[in-house]
Amino acid sequence: MGHYLDLHVIPGPDDLVSCERMAILLSTARYSTIGLTVATGLLNDRVRSLRRIFEEHGLTTVLRADFKPDSRTELLRLLRRFRNLYDLIAVKCVNQHVAAVSCRDRRVDVVFFDVGNRNLRFSHTFARLLHGAVEFNLVSDLMGQGDGWAFSRIRKAVSIAQEHHVNVILSSGARNCEMVRSPLQISALATCLGLTREESIRGVSSAPMAIVTENRRKHAQGYVEDGVKIVVPARR
Amino acid sequence: MKPMARRYLFVKVVSDRGLTNEQLHEALDSSARRYFGEIGLSRIDPRIMRFDAESSTAIVSCERSATPELMSAMALITRYSEASLSLLVLQVSGTIKGVGRRRK
Repeated sequence: MGHYLDLHVIPGPDDLVSCERMAILLSTARYSTIGLTVATGLLNDRVRSLRRIFEEHGLTTVLRADFKPDSRTELLRLLRRFRNLYDLIAVKCVNQHVAAVSCRDRRVDVVFFDVGNRNLRFSHTFARLLHGAVEFNLVSDLMGQGDGWAFSRIRKAVSIAQEHHVNVILSSGARNCEMVRSPLQISALATCLGLTREESIRGVSSAPMAIVTENRRKHAQGYVEDGVKIVVPARR
Repeated sequence: MKPMARRYLFVKVVSDRGLTNEQLHEALDSSARRYFGEIGLSRIDPRIMRFDAESSTAIVSCERSATPELMSAMALITRYSEASLSLLVLQVSGTIKGVGRRRK
C-alpha cells in the first residue's frame, strides 16, 4: 500500500467533534500523513490537542500555515516570522507581485491560486520562476462549480505545469468531513483534468512526501543550509 | 461478442440521512450526467451491485475505461435532496470477489 498524503486539511479548531469525524474519514480513506492547516495565531495548546485528535487515528500530522498576503512586503515579513515555526509554508497568490515573490522564494514550499480570482492565474511566467510546488485543491475548488469556469482554469494550469515540469501537489482543501475524499478520487479528478495517471498518483504520494521529508531534514538539529551541517565530534 | 470489462468500486457512503439504493443510484447518475453529459453517463454505465445501509457501504461497478470519470463524479457529489452526501472510493478491483477479499 502506498503512502498517501493530503497536505491541505483545514479543520475548524472550535469544532472538535467535526475534527474527530474528519480524522476517522481520512484514516478510512487510507491517508498516512495530512497537512494540518492552522491559523498562525492559534495557541500552542490548541494546536497540540488538534494534532492529538488526528494522530490518535493513526495519521501523521504536518503543521502547515497558509499565508494570504496582499503585498510583497507583507509576505516577506510573514516568512521571516513564521518559517521556522511550521513544517510547511503555503502561499495563496492573490496578485502578481505576491505570486512572483512566492514562486521565487525558497522558503515557500507550496503556492496555490484561487480559481475564483479572474485577474490572476498560474501562468508560464510563474511556472518558470517556481521553486517549490504548485498545489491544486481539487475538492474545495471544484465543489459546486457547474459553470465549467473552474474546470477550465485548472485544466489550463495543469497543462502549463506539465509543460514546465513543475512539481504538482494534489490536495482536497477539506474544511469539514463532507469535503474529505480518498486519494483514489483526488487522482482520478486530476486525470480527468489532464494529468497522466502516473503524475496524478505522484501528486498525492511521492511529490508531497518529498516536500515533507526535505522540510524534516531542514528542521533537524545541526542543519544550517543546503550542503552545510554542523557535525559535533564524538566525545572522548 | 466479448462482454465489456468492468471495474468494481468499494464505496463508503457518508451522509447525515439514511439513503436507499435507489437514492444512491439517482445521486450517482445525476452527478455523472452533470459533469460528463448524457454520452459520458452512458459510457460510464454506473451500476450499484451491493448496498449495505447498515455499514453505509456499497459496491458500484462501471465500464473499465471510464473508472476515473466515475470516481470524479463521486468526488464531486456534495448533496442529495437537502441532505449532505459524500462518497469515498476506498478500493477498486476487477472482480466483486476481489473487492471483498482485499477489504478483509
